[in-house]
Amino acid sequence: MLGTYYYHEIIKKTIVSFGTLFNQIHIRHPDKDGNTYSEMRVPLAYGPMQKFLARIEQQANLNKPVQITLPRMSFEMISIGYDATRKTSVTQTFKTVDNNNRIQKVFMPVPYNIGFELNILSKLNDDALQIVEQILPYFQPAFNITVDLVDSIGEKRDLPVVLENISFQDDYEGDFSTRRALIYKLNFSVKTYLFGPIADTTDGLIRKVQVDYYSDVDTMRSKRELRYTSTPKALKDYNNDNTSGLQEDLTDTETRITVASSASLSIGERIVIDSEIMKIIDIPDSSTIIVKRGYDGTISSPHTSSTPINVLSAADDVLINIDDDFGFNDDIEFFQDSKTYSPTQQKDI
Amino acid sequence: MALNPFFQHGSSTEQRLVQQLINEQLKMYGIEVYYIPRKIVNRDSIIREVIASKFDDNFAIEAYVNTYEGYSGAGDLLTKFGVSLKDELIITISKERFEDFISTFLENENDEEIVLSSRPREGDLIYFPLGQRIFEIKFVEHEKPFYQLGRTYVYELKCELFEYEDEMGGWDNINTTTEEIDSTLVNQGYITSLQLFSFGEQAVGIASTTTGYVRRITLTNDGSGYTSTPIVSISTAPSGGRNATAVAITTSVNGVYSIKEILLTNTGAGYTVPPLISITGENGVGAAATCEIVTDYVGVGSVYIQNPGDGYPVAPVITFSSPQSGIGITAKGRVAISTTGSISRVLISDAGIGYTQTPTFVIAPPPVVTGIGTFELNEVVTGSVSGAKARVKSWDKNTDILKLGTTDGTFVPGDIIVGSASSATYSLSYVISAQFSDKYEQNDVIEEEADLILDFTESNPFGNY
Repeated sequence: MLGTYYYHEIIKKTIVSFGTLFNQIHIRHPDKDGNTYSEMRVPLAYGPMQKFLARIEQQANLNKPVQITLPRMSFEMISIGYDATRKTSVTQTFKTVDNNNRIQKVFMPVPYNIGFELNILSKLNDDALQIVEQILPYFQPAFNITVDLVDSIGEKRDLPVVLENISFQDDYEGDFSTRRALIYKLNFSVKTYLFGPIADTTDGLIRKVQVDYYSDVDTMRSKRELRYTSTPKALKDYNNDNTSGLQEDLTDTETRITVASSASLSIGERIVIDSEIMKIIDIPDSSTIIVKRGYDGTISSPHTSSTPINVLSAADDVLINIDDDFGFNDDIEFFQDSKTYSPTQQKDI
Repeated sequence: MALNPFFQHGSSTEQRLVQQLINEQLKMYGIEVYYIPRKIVNRDSIIREVIASKFDDNFAIEAYVNTYEGYSGAGDLLTKFGVSLKDELIITISKERFEDFISTFLENENDEEIVLSSRPREGDLIYFPLGQRIFEIKFVEHEKPFYQLGRTYVYELKCELFEYEDEMGGWDNINTTTEEIDSTLVNQGYITSLQLFSFGEQAVGIASTTTGYVRRITLTNDGSGYTSTPIVSISTAPSGGRNATAVAITTSVNGVYSIKEILLTNTGAGYTVPPLISITGENGVGAAATCEIVTDYVGVGSVYIQNPGDGYPVAPVITFSSPQSGIGITAKGRVAISTTGSISRVLISDAGIGYTQTPTFVIAPPPVVTGIGTFELNEVVTGSVSGAKARVKSWDKNTDILKLGTTDGTFVPGDIIVGSASSATYSLSYVISAQFSDKYEQNDVIEEEADLILDFTESNPFGNY
């Protein structure tokens, strides 16, 4: 039952998103006159790591001359817990598209809180205070980050990072054989979402809407009289048909255009030059067309000679992708027959 | 009198003898360590911390290693802050030797920097040459052995490996008289690596003249939504002329470009009417520009770079000669540089008007034509443009890489880096890195990963990132 392989790396992404909040914290040290003498970025790392890796990386020189360099910050994930307050219906789904524009069906994500601990180790209390003061004001008590949790479907979620608790340890008392330890510990909780497997859905993109109007609400007895059909209309060229080309420079107001050949163009067609759509309203001769500029909400702009002319046709309409901008082709038909439309056979019977 | 007056607990001569025997034993069986006194540069009087120290002196002294079987302490630990070496060392030094050969020198130091000179002090450092390590004195035990013949003769120093923090100057202020100590510390701590230019050469080129040319292009709408640099097309010149070409200079926010300006790479020739300019780019719309042509005067046509020069960290200024007579307008342009520091091309923002002779131009020389000198360890270097200062850790003349310790300010390409002691002078090409020398920090790795998944395009009212 369980076991469908998937791995969205959501927890890892949450770790990265949390960590990056703290990777540009600096401390400064003043001289006696109050001028900045030195400034450094506080090093940050994810605490847990393989022991052998730590040894060979951080202690390549076995006789390391110093104990440790300070200050340092480390963070680590300390808990994962279900958040019942953000629960949604388990059967609720939504549809989206993946990177290949295929429609995907996704169950609503499951809310989980991931607990993090941020530790700050410093030798000077002043350094620790500099670091803490640069962090705390952002959390009231939450700070929101927008994260692309599932890359394949571009699912972005706002993740509140909540500052839950602050504690610090300053062991300055005791004998002189023990060093003073100065550690600040900040506990956070990130309200993330875990997604289950994402499946292809058989549902397609709606490419046609059709409404039949009847003369009466009793559709069993009355006849249909009018059909309204609407299909998407391309607002850019998809098939690169390169039907013709400009034979002159075109200003942004010129409507009489010299083209390489008008043979394959027809009146009423929409053409696109660069990103401007025009509608052909006349074809006086084999190398001239008259157009309406800036059609379909595009901006009329100049174009240089030899720019290709593409025709926007039904061939382009079918290639419209999800998330593309598009217009609508409207069609109205009147009927005198007594047929009805069969959705299963997709024809009038 | 409570004690029997016929018995003494050590006369002064006996005490002197014992002290000398101890001194002799330490000289025979001890090892030579370096005592490095802490000089207080700045302290916080409220939270009672020394926030800046310097260690620029050292004294050799013989010491007996009490922990002769090895370091004591917890050893090497993996903590949540990375590897921490908890090695401890206990050494014994002669009280008399310290007072005679270290205290007397410390007494003459500035009272603010050396607050106590009569005894070894907690916080001072011991350089242990066998392990080439720096230990910090945690505690000075002065009554062990306990008053033999009526007095004490040695100090027992309990030490632990030094915790390095980027205090004011910190290690960078260490410039001891012992090169061994200095070289041990060169690769520790926060290091800024700079790639310098040691050689520079001024770029030269020639310009051609033209008429019927595009003098300049004016952007009337900067457009929006471009996801790559748009292509600028200029309509062709009449037969016998030469086509003008131009490029768009873009600005971008979150990967979306808009056009900042359009500059000519060739002003063309033979135009009789202003050509049309079309701007096309992926996903972008709205950009528009017009141009001004000059048909009855001469201006700059194109620029040919004969020698692209070398050693340019930032684009230099280009200055065209003025028209020779009459009312003319001097051409203006900008220079683009390659990643290797040479001139890649000249872009013309205004081709000028009224030249009667072929104009000339001068590309400003690189900041430093010949880098001179050798940077010295621990000298302060200063950037001419940024004003940033830092101390030298190392200088590799073969690769022109300068490693610096703690910095005040940020060095920028184009800085002329000058050493305060050596007067060595080189120009900065770019900053290679600025990070701790050990492999603990992951700031850049985390940031690069986060850039791939964090969405900066949407704002929300509850805090943004």
